[in-house]
Amino acid sequence: MRLKLYRAADTAEAIALVRAELGGDALILSSRRVQGGVEVTAALEPDTEPPPAPLPAPDPRRAAAFVWHGVPAGLARRLEAGPLPFALSAVLRFEKLALGDAAPPLMVVGPPGAGKTLTVARLAARLVMAGTAPMVVTADGKRAGAAEQLAAFTRLLGLQLLVASAPAALSRALARREAGAPVLIDTPGTDPFEAGQREDIAALAATAGARLAVVLPAGLDVGEATDLAGAYATCGARLLAATRLDLARRIGAVLAAAGAGLALAEAGIGPGAADGLVPMTPDLLATRLMRVPQLSAAGTGARPT
Amino acid sequence: MTAATTLGPPVPVPVPAPARAGRILAVASGKGGVGKTWFAITLAHALARAGERVLLFDGDLGLANVDIQLGLTPAHDLASVVDGRIGLAAAAQAHEGGFAILAGRSGSGALSQLPPATLEDLLAALRQESTRLDRVVLDLGAGLDRSVRRMSGFADTLLVVATEEPTSLTDAYAALKLHAADVPAGEARVVVNQASSRTAGERTYATLARACRSFLGRAPALAGVVRRDDRVREAIRRQTLFLTRHPTAPAAADVEAIAAGLRCP
Repeated sequence: MRLKLYRAADTAEAIALVRAELGGDALILSSRRVQGGVEVTAALEPDTEPPPAPLPAPDPRRAAAFVWHGVPAGLARRLEAGPLPFALSAVLRFEKLALGDAAPPLMVVGPPGAGKTLTVARLAARLVMAGTAPMVVTADGKRAGAAEQLAAFTRLLGLQLLVASAPAALSRALARREAGAPVLIDTPGTDPFEAGQREDIAALAATAGARLAVVLPAGLDVGEATDLAGAYATCGARLLAATRLDLARRIGAVLAAAGAGLALAEAGIGPGAADGLVPMTPDLLATRLMRVPQLSAAGTGARPT
Repeated sequence: MTAATTLGPPVPVPVPAPARAGRILAVASGKGGVGKTWFAITLAHALARAGERVLLFDGDLGLANVDIQLGLTPAHDLASVVDGRIGLAAAAQAHEGGFAILAGRSGSGALSQLPPATLEDLLAALRQESTRLDRVVLDLGAGLDRSVRRMSGFADTLLVVATEEPTSLTDAYAALKLHAADVPAGEARVVVNQASSRTAGERTYATLARACRSFLGRAPALAGVVRRDDRVREAIRRQTLFLTRHPTAPAAADVEAIAAGLRCP
């Protein structure tokens, strides 16, 4: 940009000077009164000058992978520097699920069909295999077959399933908690964009003194995942269990949901009831992100040779 | 599950509390001599006084002088970090102003030719360190070389310091133009320094914003105006913090207002 100041007796005269010297494309940026007339600041952006080329990404493979996965641009930019697991751990939050003796109950929430019940079943299986029998509660007593689905798992694990759909019933169920037993609470699929449903979630969580983990499938639309994570965060959710990482190819939604304020806790990586859910780690996520078909061509617009 | 009835208008998405301005703030100017380093130091101090945990990072790889402006003789500096002799967190030293400083290597130009991969490692370490802090203030060098550009784009928020002079406006515009090319969705704000009055400073901002809107298609917001104050020069000469030495000066209030604006946009 070329910038020039012109002084003249009046504005018309100043503008004439600008046009005479810089031409019709010049832009008057400002004008102010000075002693003896006006001062006009004019600018010209020569159109012969090509727009600056963006600085190349530090790691073009990574940049291409982010584009392919649909990682939001602002987030992708913050994940550019350094080794990817390192960058992920600095920009996003990772948190190991606390399910020990003193841990508060864990309540699992999410939209219908996200994999909440299977997540609860897998966490219960993990605890049983580690020698602890958790208390398993479902707040989904209304939907046909919902409790039966979880009951099928708890039977296999030798656990009892309690059904408690309302805060009062949940409170009664929790009164039967054995000292030190971890508590897992399943909930019906919810629409967190509806204030009434957010209030229901918050009421159940408050009754149980529970931490909320959101279950979202990895292959969700990125914008949808961002909105859902943000909406659940407003009713107190802080944790994320990303399911179906084995079935989705593009997993930008996982990063987007984490970027919207949820800590990455669990990853659904396979069909196994016991080993299909593992703690999410920066290394696991980094490996999964860089697994892109034809990475050399993806997102770069490169032509096949 | 809800029984779907009719598809009404979309329900607005509940939005969590708005994110405040980014954790990593870069201070750039294009042109030298506009008070950029003074502003970066004073802003770091103002943020620390407001209760934030702040690291002031001297990112002027060619001619660092945060340490000189504060009369420090740092035990460690950025060069030791780049050499791998010490970690970034350990190299930062606490300052009496309540913030930490990672000094550059003043007067040697030792870091001016940092290879891009080394710079990336350094930035990654800085990002990591930022998670333990509320704010990193990154004082960038004058000019618009590759490393200044990279660090401008790396920051969550870029603050461009400009004065009323046409040369400063042109260079601030150039910095904003490159930032727009590198980070199309990035956030940049303008600080007008050494303004003869608040009104004059706002006029300077309006001039710059108009150029940006017309030529770049978007305009940065105004972070604030800092009024000219001869005591700034005097504080720098005495190598002292401005807010400590002249807490009631108009320029002090101006920087504190900018810090407050960055904390709650």
